[in-house]
Amino acid sequence: DPRRTGDALRAFHAAIRSYPVNSKNPAVKEQAQGTMLKVLTSFKSSEIEQAVNSLDRNGVDLLMKYIYKGFEKPTENSSAILLQWHEKALAVGGLGSIVRVLTARKTL
Amino acid sequence: MAYHSFLLEPISCHAWNKDRTQIALCPNNHEVHIYRKDGAKWSKIHELKEHNGQVTGIDWAPESNRLVTCGTDRNAYVWTLKGNVWKPTLVILRINRAARCVKWSPKENKFAVGSGSRLISICYFEQENDWWVCKHIKKPIRSTVLSLDWHPNNVLLAAGSCDFKCRIFSAYIKEVEERPSPTPWGSKMPFGELMFESSSSCGWVHSICFSASGARVAWVSHDSTLCLADANKKMAVASLCTETLPLLAVTFITENSLVAAGHDCCPMLFTYEEGQGVLTFRGKLDVPKQSSQRGLTARERFQNLDKKASSDTTNATLDTLHKNSISQISVLAGGKANCSQFCTTGMDGGMSIWDVKSLESALKDLKIK
Repeated sequence: DPRRTGDALRAFHAAIRSYPVNSKNPAVKEQAQGTMLKVLTSFKSSEIEQAVNSLDRNGVDLLMKYIYKGFEKPTENSSAILLQWHEKALAVGGLGSIVRVLTARKTL
Repeated sequence: MAYHSFLLEPISCHAWNKDRTQIALCPNNHEVHIYRKDGAKWSKIHELKEHNGQVTGIDWAPESNRLVTCGTDRNAYVWTLKGNVWKPTLVILRINRAARCVKWSPKENKFAVGSGSRLISICYFEQENDWWVCKHIKKPIRSTVLSLDWHPNNVLLAAGSCDFKCRIFSAYIKEVEERPSPTPWGSKMPFGELMFESSSSCGWVHSICFSASGARVAWVSHDSTLCLADANKKMAVASLCTETLPLLAVTFITENSLVAAGHDCCPMLFTYEEGQGVLTFRGKLDVPKQSSQRGLTARERFQNLDKKASSDTTNATLDTLHKNSISQISVLAGGKANCSQFCTTGMDGGMSIWDVKSLESALKDLKIK
């Protein structure tokens, strides 16, 4: 259903754009993480690659940060879908995007 | 590409003499070994033993032919060749942590040492006392200085540090030189003046390099980024988040092109486009020979499945010339304005010489300008 895919993609871009970069409030960050996780898990496996390709370099780096944050607190089905996102994000961002997750000062 | 394996352990640092017939390197210990080229072979001709700690930096002054070395023993030595023997002169750096890098200034009347003491020692020779003295640049460095590079005017010095910043200082020493004329980095240059400071990246700055003209400075950090500050654009910084593992060494090969290498074990080409202020990755310069893909036997497949839980045919070995991280790059011919040959040394104990013209032809559509 292309309408549903369109919705998921829009929600995805909205979540990426609205990341609370300067917030020091853990509740705000927690909420952003929760929202992103919901959006990521709502994607069908076949749609992930297109979504990743629609991001610019900074977007890919940010996505990678959210993926690892999601790994930190796995829920029942989250790891499986996150691993698929990880594979696609790695193909675009390379090892450098993972290095920047590790070296980031402003954590999610 | 010519690759020579000197050691089975990392080459800590290296420096070439003026005509590139000799290379001085630290074989991961307290010594400096000098090798001379003998046809296709390298023969060790000197062993310099004076340091009490690992030698972390070597620089060879091309005109005066003096060597300067620094080490974790908090000392630096200036070496002069007397006959066939290298004689060391101790230089008191007044630091209480390891020295990490050393560079002669372009006129070879000063040298700078970066250290874990969070400062830079600028050393010059005092005629009256027949002695090397040093002055310190401290503020506002907050961590170990890992790399240094001099501006062609012999006064400005770029420093990369573990506090994630690249800075340019004035290292003007009135005892040995005239007042410098203004540069795009500024006109007032008293000793220790901070001319430029980058905003924080998120990684230790491993290596830093001025372009040949001195108007640009580039650096690589541990967060897998390459950055460049352009004094002709009001010191605007262009940065590139690479897809690679962190780079450890960078050098300009023309005013617009850079070669960098690091934990991916292979040199890479980057270009800077002045108009847009953009850095672009152009490609890996180590093009592996296409090895024939032979099929796996059933036995090998089963073994792979048993060992690695995958019957994947892809090779787990490195295709690159260097089999471990490249830690240093030096320009051999052509200078930083028109480099025709550069050299890499790494943690695999190997040294490789790269010819820019052959690299250009090996990589289609690659024009280094």
